[in-house]
Amino acid sequence: MAFEPPEFPATDQLDRDIARMLADDARLSFRKIAADLDVTEGTVRGRVKRLQNAGLLKLVPILDIDRAHESAGEDHGQHMLFITVKCASGKLDQVRRGLLALPQVSALYDANAAPRLVAVCILGTLREAADLTDKVIALDGIREVETELVLQTVKYNAAIAPIATV
Amino acid sequence: MSDDKPQRRPRGSGFDDIDRRIIEVLGRDGRAQSTTIGEELGLSGNLVANRIRAMDAGGLMRVVAVSDFRIHGYRMVARIRLMISGRPPIDVARELAAREDVLSVHITSGRYPVSCLYAFRNAREMIEAVRQATADLAGVEDVDVELINNVYRYVPAVGPLGV
Repeated sequence: MAFEPPEFPATDQLDRDIARMLADDARLSFRKIAADLDVTEGTVRGRVKRLQNAGLLKLVPILDIDRAHESAGEDHGQHMLFITVKCASGKLDQVRRGLLALPQVSALYDANAAPRLVAVCILGTLREAADLTDKVIALDGIREVETELVLQTVKYNAAIAPIATV
Repeated sequence: MSDDKPQRRPRGSGFDDIDRRIIEVLGRDGRAQSTTIGEELGLSGNLVANRIRAMDAGGLMRVVAVSDFRIHGYRMVARIRLMISGRPPIDVARELAAREDVLSVHITSGRYPVSCLYAFRNAREMIEAVRQATADLAGVEDVDVELINNVYRYVPAVGPLGV
């Protein structure tokens, strides 16, 4: 099966500038952005809508990982766990569905044109990390599971990421 | 302190129920107006605006724009993990973090203690980055490269805002 990259609409410098201005404060007024970039407010609004519809831009509240459990209870926030799964041949779709059914999985990618899946999980407690690992190992079609607990984040760029889903 | 305005909260305490409900609405629309959020929750627009500002100022919550790497002129993203010996992994991590095309760097408990997300404009840049990591970065024993192909979920609700 040949790898076909999904098609996304073309973007230009204006899209880039708007995304950059919204990066740290997605609630910045469109009037201010329009004035700074020397375009109309309607243009900014239209560009943002188009990028959102294409899945290339998300304007979202992010809770701090060290404080999120204060908000949503201890089953949220606190720990980040990477789970890398190698799938048995022909089982990729099945394993992917199994991983997507787990609410702790906040991001899921496949890598090296498969059959490897990488899940970024957000967990409240280390106990939950162990339980989640058990659940993943129990999924049918798994050949190998590797878990890595994030001990320290040295750099985190919330503004640019692989986010456009297929 | 006798000031009991609702937007004030004791230092160090977390979110209360009003904050939680505001965050829930922002999760549906990050740009919802304070007055609109207030109408939905039966609160004044001023209170909502103050709460959002206070959560932001306190580093608890931020409404951000997350944009796909393709908008920024990058064509591919890879997770590159490094096995380190004879040197603290944190030193290697900091060297990598200084690069603009390195989007994030984590220290993990795994066999490859330095894990980073790297963005590239073309395949040549990726090959060069891997070559540099192997040849020029002191202490790197082994490099594992995973080119990210498809994204199946991306729900950014929690992140290390303090970094």
